[in-house]
Amino acid sequence: MPKTWRSHVLCAYAMAILAFLYLPLLILALYSFNESRINAVWSGFTLDWYLSLFKNRRVLEALTNSLIVAFASTIVSTVLGTTAAIALNKYQYKYKNVINGLLYLPILIPEIVMGLSLLVLFSQTHIPLGKTSLILAHITFCVSFVVITVNARLEGMRPELEQAAMDLYATPFQTFRYVTLPLAMPGIVAGALMAFTLSIDDFIISFFVAGPNSTTLPLYIYAMVKRGISPEINALSTLLMLAIIVLVVLAQVLQPQHVSKKEE
Amino acid sequence: MKKLLSLLIALVAFAIVGCGGGDKKSEGKGEPQVLNLFSWADNVDPAVIERFEKENNCKVNYDVFANNEELLAKLQAGGAQYDVIQPSDYMVTTLVKLGMLEELNHANIPNTKNIVKSLQAPSYDPTGKYSVVYTWGMTGIVYNKKYIKEAPTSWSDLWKDEYKGRIILLNDNREVIGMALKKNGHSNNSLNPQEVEAAVKDLKKLAPNVLAFDTDTIKQKFIAEEAWIGTMWTGDASYTYKDNKDIGFVVPKEGATIWADTFAIPKGAPHKELAEKFINFMYDPKVSAQNYEYIGYNDPNEKAAEFHSEEFKNDPMLKIGRDNIDKGEWLTDIGEALTMYDRFWTELKTGK
Amino acid sequence: MRNGKLMVAPTVLWLSFFFVVPLLIVVAVSFASRTPYGQVIFDWTLGNYARFTETLYLSIFADTLLVALVTTVLTIILGYPLAYFIAQLPQKWQQPGLILVMIPFWINFLIRSYAWVIILRTQGVLNTILLKFGLIDQPLQMLYNEVAVMLGMVYALLPFMVLPIYVSIEQLDHRLLEAASDLGASPFTAFRKVTLPLTMPGIAAGTILVFISSLGMFVVPDVMGGAKSALIGNLIQNQFLSARDWPFGGALSIVLAALSLVLIVLYYKALSAQQGGGKNAEDMA
Repeated sequence: MPKTWRSHVLCAYAMAILAFLYLPLLILALYSFNESRINAVWSGFTLDWYLSLFKNRRVLEALTNSLIVAFASTIVSTVLGTTAAIALNKYQYKYKNVINGLLYLPILIPEIVMGLSLLVLFSQTHIPLGKTSLILAHITFCVSFVVITVNARLEGMRPELEQAAMDLYATPFQTFRYVTLPLAMPGIVAGALMAFTLSIDDFIISFFVAGPNSTTLPLYIYAMVKRGISPEINALSTLLMLAIIVLVVLAQVLQPQHVSKKEE
Repeated sequence: MKKLLSLLIALVAFAIVGCGGGDKKSEGKGEPQVLNLFSWADNVDPAVIERFEKENNCKVNYDVFANNEELLAKLQAGGAQYDVIQPSDYMVTTLVKLGMLEELNHANIPNTKNIVKSLQAPSYDPTGKYSVVYTWGMTGIVYNKKYIKEAPTSWSDLWKDEYKGRIILLNDNREVIGMALKKNGHSNNSLNPQEVEAAVKDLKKLAPNVLAFDTDTIKQKFIAEEAWIGTMWTGDASYTYKDNKDIGFVVPKEGATIWADTFAIPKGAPHKELAEKFINFMYDPKVSAQNYEYIGYNDPNEKAAEFHSEEFKNDPMLKIGRDNIDKGEWLTDIGEALTMYDRFWTELKTGK
Repeated sequence: MRNGKLMVAPTVLWLSFFFVVPLLIVVAVSFASRTPYGQVIFDWTLGNYARFTETLYLSIFADTLLVALVTTVLTIILGYPLAYFIAQLPQKWQQPGLILVMIPFWINFLIRSYAWVIILRTQGVLNTILLKFGLIDQPLQMLYNEVAVMLGMVYALLPFMVLPIYVSIEQLDHRLLEAASDLGASPFTAFRKVTLPLTMPGIAAGTILVFISSLGMFVVPDVMGGAKSALIGNLIQNQFLSARDWPFGGALSIVLAALSLVLIVLYYKALSAQQGGGKNAEDMA
């Protein structure tokens, strides 16, 4: 497609929105160098928060907990959500509406209600509170988001492709593996990203289902507000942000050809 | 397909077993004992905790909540095996009434005798059997001397028109309605619907002038001078003053709310003995001097005075004054009336 | 693949145990009463649902719906072009592009909100800049009002719109657009008649995610709105974390969920009525 003024406008618009998304992060990073212990006014430059961050055992523990929970629940909820979405798109079910309702309902229930009721469930069934209960809960609220996202992809997908594969004597599994799955992949990736995003930043549900020694980063941060969130958190966020960006760029530079060919 | 299913099952199993196992490890080994502390964030000097861990060969798990009702909801839903919790005054009463606190064995916590007499048996726990005061303070008026030349003396000063859009009230129904009750000369625990309604009527007049309701980041709003005047806790005032020297704090003449956070042991705490050891440790004069310098709240420990720095002793925000304390009133649990307070609070917020 | 139909089973089983069972508990609680200290007594009353019909609570519901609606429309306006932009990037840059959009949302929401406060407050970054350039001579009060709440909502929920829309734009067959333009359709007409209908599943999914999520928001009204307004999310939160009224909180949640479900069904009905348009576009090409 030739570059037209329209694509320039689109590009500028997208950049403006990205700026909107990153503006607060810029401020946040700036304040990680602020002397004052409280994020209120600029009082001078310092690197102390970065130093004290690495001595703060509890922040680092919370970060580790958050990552474990987020990765585990992303993997499981993506698998669960994807299989459900594919099955629902492909097959007729007698109780399709009931199943659909079941898959949509979890996003309709306020988080606090879900958190409390899960806590009641866990304590009644003697599931110990800790990282396990956190992961179970996170999977539960992430699944629906994955289903909806993957579904958005499948709905626009043409059944002819699968049909063609079948006509060419592909087994159902081969059709699934080599046609359906690759075609659905962008939806699955987007669903996984959504699950990860929800899990890594969840506070309310986590608060209720967390037990001793499983404080996640959001729990730690929310509880800090009473005393004032320490700039150590800004420092940590800045480092995380940089680390992710570096990883993404590295991944891009190191294995580009291979991936893009396969995708095409 | 089967592959996918078995993969799925394997993953779930991994998540459950893998992590479940991980959780148990720390308990199972038995050796370094574990103390599960459930508290406000940043409420204890980490160095103090480290010292306790070393001296007792144990590990302290420090988990956090952000307000009393969260603590209650979590305990009520059957959550958590905590050893030491830090409820505030009125919540102690509630927990006692619900039978959710262990009686403390004072023989095991002799250091708590160091606590100033007036705080040893406060009205929310008159026998002192269930809780020990940890931090305490009052709710007063905070103001910025740059914009407000004449120090406020009464709660009614908040209603002055010239402060329109510069007022911040705590985001807490008991604190705000209690304040208006005090202004009218009533108890901040009033159960009398007429008194409460009159107070709320006054508050509805104040509401349009309010910049924001805020408990958590009220300090930042005063440091950055977004607001000129408002209601604040002493500990926070001291915090704010460190970053903005124009800040002043008064306890109004009508009297004010006095509050405390405490140490208590929940029913069924798995390590009660260690919990009492910890509480006792916290009131060792030297330990508490170090601890309160770090957290910046009034130290209730009389014996610690000699170990405190001059700066701490002279902090104008922490000097509350005998007469103000005497005029102070604890918030008590109002039980059924909470519904009425909540309804008025919702009305106030929605302007209806 | 004979057993393909069973693929939905693990998810259904999972949600039945971890979601339906707890949900039934909530339903039961919503018909209960409470003691002064917040304990639940199961005495099967409709009182909690009756309370909801008071004007005070109905008006909060109406306000919340309005805020959610505006938020959803704004996220579509902001999110669609962004998703479109990413989807038309070369294949290799699409995933990094998506991740770039997502990174801000992996940083704690609360501290990002506080960053907005630092930007927008009277002594904040924006006011300082505006004052310096002489564009204003008095700091503007940009925070603690409805506009600020809306900004916070849009900021918080944008990715839930961008991701599903991206997913459906990405699979758009560009030959359809070429065909449309070959047939003399202006770019705008082509967009309206081809692109938009074909990406409707993405918009629908995004709309539902954003709309529903914004109904439950309570941090944004507190931080950006100065806690001066009460949305349904705050009201429910208060029942559990201040009024100790789990039954009323439960009833409010059930009503909220039922209402959302009805809205979703209506929305999908309206969409499928329109769907004819999408199919036509395809036939046309």
